[in-house]
Order: sequence, then structure tokens, then C-alpha cells
Amino acid sequence: MICENCKQRPAKVTVTQVHNGEHFERHYCEVCANSLHPFYVEYKQDPLSLHQLLSNWFSQTEQQPMQHKQQKNMIVCDECGWSIQRFLDEGKFGCANCYNSFRPQLPNVFKRLHNGNTKHIGKAPGALGEKIAIKKRIEAIRSQMKDAIDTESFEEAAKLRDEARDLENQLSTGGDQTDVN
Amino acid sequence: MSIEHFLDNSISSWMAGEGKHSDIVMSTRIRLARNLNGYRFPLAFTEDEAHKIDQSVSATLLDASDELHMQFSSFHIKDVSELSRQVLVEKHLISPKLANSPMTGSVLLSNDESVSVMVNEEDHIRIQCLFSGLQIQEAYAQADELDRVLDKELPYAFDEQFGYLTSCPTNTGTGLRASVMMHLPALTMTKQMNRIVTIISRLGMVVRGIYGEGSEALGNVYQVSNQTTLGKSEEDILADLQSITEQIIQKEREARDALLKHSANTLEDRLYRSLGTLSFARIMATDEAARCLSDVRLGIDMGLIEDVDMSILNECMVFMQPGFLQKYAGTSLNTSERDMFRAKLLRERLQKEEKQKTKGEESE
Repeated sequence: MICENCKQRPAKVTVTQVHNGEHFERHYCEVCANSLHPFYVEYKQDPLSLHQLLSNWFSQTEQQPMQHKQQKNMIVCDECGWSIQRFLDEGKFGCANCYNSFRPQLPNVFKRLHNGNTKHIGKAPGALGEKIAIKKRIEAIRSQMKDAIDTESFEEAAKLRDEARDLENQLSTGGDQTDVN
Repeated sequence: MSIEHFLDNSISSWMAGEGKHSDIVMSTRIRLARNLNGYRFPLAFTEDEAHKIDQSVSATLLDASDELHMQFSSFHIKDVSELSRQVLVEKHLISPKLANSPMTGSVLLSNDESVSVMVNEEDHIRIQCLFSGLQIQEAYAQADELDRVLDKELPYAFDEQFGYLTSCPTNTGTGLRASVMMHLPALTMTKQMNRIVTIISRLGMVVRGIYGEGSEALGNVYQVSNQTTLGKSEEDILADLQSITEQIIQKEREARDALLKHSANTLEDRLYRSLGTLSFARIMATDEAARCLSDVRLGIDMGLIEDVDMSILNECMVFMQPGFLQKYAGTSLNTSERDMFRAKLLRERLQKEEKQKTKGEESE
């Protein structure tokens, strides 16, 4: 359908006019709709924003008496000064320390945003990241070892077992390879 | 390199039409969100903090260019004119949020435009890698490499329970958003997209229009990306996106075959009408242009339209946007002037192509 006014662009906005009790529908493109009906503002608004959802979820889960709830919302991050209420209103954190300050309340929020998950299992930075990478390698070696045992390649399995043990030693000594043995 | 280098050309490397399944997957994008310890997030920080972050991130990356085998050009957003910012947004090199930020922020661009690092957008650091076609692993490897380099020098905000700490709780965890931009005209024509969108959303993935959140699928281009960043490893996120993308590709190919089998004439008519419109129209609004370009692209993919080059279409998709048009025109244009100028450019571009073809044939 094309716009009734300019007859060029496709019609995207339907304007319903009520005249003497009768309804008339007019179809305009956005450009004409804007110039003919400048007060019409709703049609491009965000249907529901993250902070609205956050506030709703949060209030749903907090079924405590009002006074208690207000106290809860007074929790303030000592680093950036944001309250948990501000976090919920903006849908954003003020700083990294907010995660610490609001820690007990966060699993409820994350559960809903991340398919029920509340704990990170991906990679990590720096030394911690290396540790996690080693753990992953050990897991991979273990599963190879199982395959080796299943196919009765015991020599191979023994080699893998030693390899995993070395890595485990590395982990327990904080990645310092010098005092393995 | 000067900013002009990145503004003049509407083709970036991700538009080259290379990579796997490039007839359906236009591009792959990986984005990592990172923040530094000791500074508040951009919504709460001071100009002084912004400045310090900008300096240390930019310096770290510029120093690492040898290690990364990559040259970066760094631009302070404040030094870039408003129109140029819009052009960078339209090329997907920066986000609208960074373009409009009142605080000190920068973008570091690799010369081939495949890597862009935004400083002080919603997070202190946003690493973005844009590859042509379906190259999820390749793009991630690139982003991961940059992440490693920055991690060596800068103290990342990280928590054992929550992972990488980000400004928005929807990015917490891996801070990873992996997305593929797909051209799905046959699934749209056969009205299967709604069903697919519903199924995908149940799998922790999202489908959006080309221009991100809330935008409609202009020109049948959809962006599929992961929704979940917490409780799923990077490998799993990438593998899930890969498998969903492959399934959608499969469905799109089936739908194209079905169209060809059952209504080849109607389809060919529609696609050629669109080519006609692009070649001759005098007034062209964005959505009509996008629809026609989508049709012509489909025609090329299916071998129904032979004498137009695919890369031209990728280019047209970019330069028909308002910022580019005004940059080309060298002046600001209102909506109706833009529609006329857009029609003119598209016409010229397609005719130029035609002329080159006939010239080529004559000289042979």
C-alpha cells in the first residue's frame, strides 16, 4: 500500500480519525504522517526497555514488607555512589565494584537475562586465565585417556596420565614449573 | 592514516563478498566488552578518568601493532566532524553511542577496517572484528588476540563468579557478542521468518534487523547473535551460533529452490522490476532502495540476473544511507532531497556498471 498523501512512499502509519461517530482509516508514510499529525509520537517508541524489565523482575522477587524493601534499595556502592535503585533504573552498573556491592541481589537479575545462568564459565584474564586454560587442558587429556583405555592402548593412556599429572602439579604450585617433582 | 581514508570509500573489507556462504551471510562480527579496574564505567566516570583510560588503551594498542601485525589509526571522537561520525556509524566502524558521547573517547581502526576498537563507549574497551562471509572462528581468533595483548598490559575488571564485568548486565560474563548478518529474502518472501525468529529466541539467540536493536529487517537483512553471555563458554557460544547459522542457510537455500521450482516466472519478473526501478527511478526512499537491492542481490545469487556485480550491491547498501549521501553530495540534504540524490547515485552506479560491461565486450 502506498501513502495516501504523497502517493510515493509505502504507507507505514495508520491514522484512525473519528468523524461524527464514524471511523476513518488513513494510511500514510512516516514522512507525511509526521507533517500531517505532528502530535503523533507513540509509534516509534521502544516497546519495553531493559531497565523497565529489571525493575519489574526485581519487585516481583522482593515480596518483603515495604520497609524492608526500601532498606534494600538503599544499598549504595561505596566506589561510585550508585544505589541499587539507580542500577535498576538505568539498567546499567556504575562501576566494577557495583557487582561486589550488589552481589546478593544479582543472581536474580542474571538468571532472567542469561537463561537461568548465574556463574561465568568462560575465559579469564591474566594468571587466573592461565590457570583455567590449564584446567581445560587437563580435562581434554583425561577424556583422551579414557578413549585410549577403551581402545586398550595402555601405553598411550599412561603417557596421557603423566601429562595430566604434570599439569596438575603446575596448578597446585601456582603455575611455577621449577619445583615440580 | 587520515580519517578521510576511512570515509571516502564505501567498501570495507567485510563487504568484499568473500568468505564461506557469502551469498547468504554478508558478514560476521565479534565484539568483546572489557573494562579496567580502578576507573568507574562510562556512565559514571569523570572526564579525567575518561582521558586516562583513553590514553592507556590507545598507547597499548599502538605499541602492539608489530606484535599484532596490524597498523592502527587512532581518532579522538571529538576531533571528528558530526557528518564523518555518521559515516563511520553507517560503515559499522563505530556505534551511535560512541558517536554521540560527550566524554573523551576514541576509535582505533586497522587499515583494512576489519578491526575497530572503541574506547569509552558503553564500556571502557570494545573490541570489534568484522569479517566478510561466515567466519566465526576466524573473527574470534582475531578478537582474542587483541584481547590477549591488552590483557598483558592493562588490569581488566574481572570477578570469579560473574566473569568480565561490564556496564550492562546483558554483557556480563564473557562480554562476547558474536553475530552474523544474513540476507534472507526467500525465507521472508515465503513468510517463514516469524517462525524462525521464535525458535531461535528459545535457544538463547536473537534475530534483529540490520541496524541493531529494535530496527526492522530493512532489505531482508537480519542479524543473528547470541543473547546469553553468562554461564556459557566462548567456545559454546561460537559453536551454537555456527550451527544455527548453518541451519538457517540451509532453510534459505531450500526456500530459494522452492521459489525457483514453483514460481520462477513471477520471481524473475519481480527481480527484474526491481533492477528496472533501481536503474531508472528518480525518487528513492531508503526502504524502497533496500527492497530493490535485496531483489537484485537475490537475482544475482540465483543466476537470474547476470550482468551486475555483487560487490556493487554491498556498496550500494552502504552509500544509500543518509550520512554517506550527504558526504557524497558535499552538503546537507533534507529527506526529499536525499531521496532524489539516492536515486541519482544508484542509477549512475548501475549504469556505470552496464557501460563497463559493454565496453569490455566491444574490446574483446
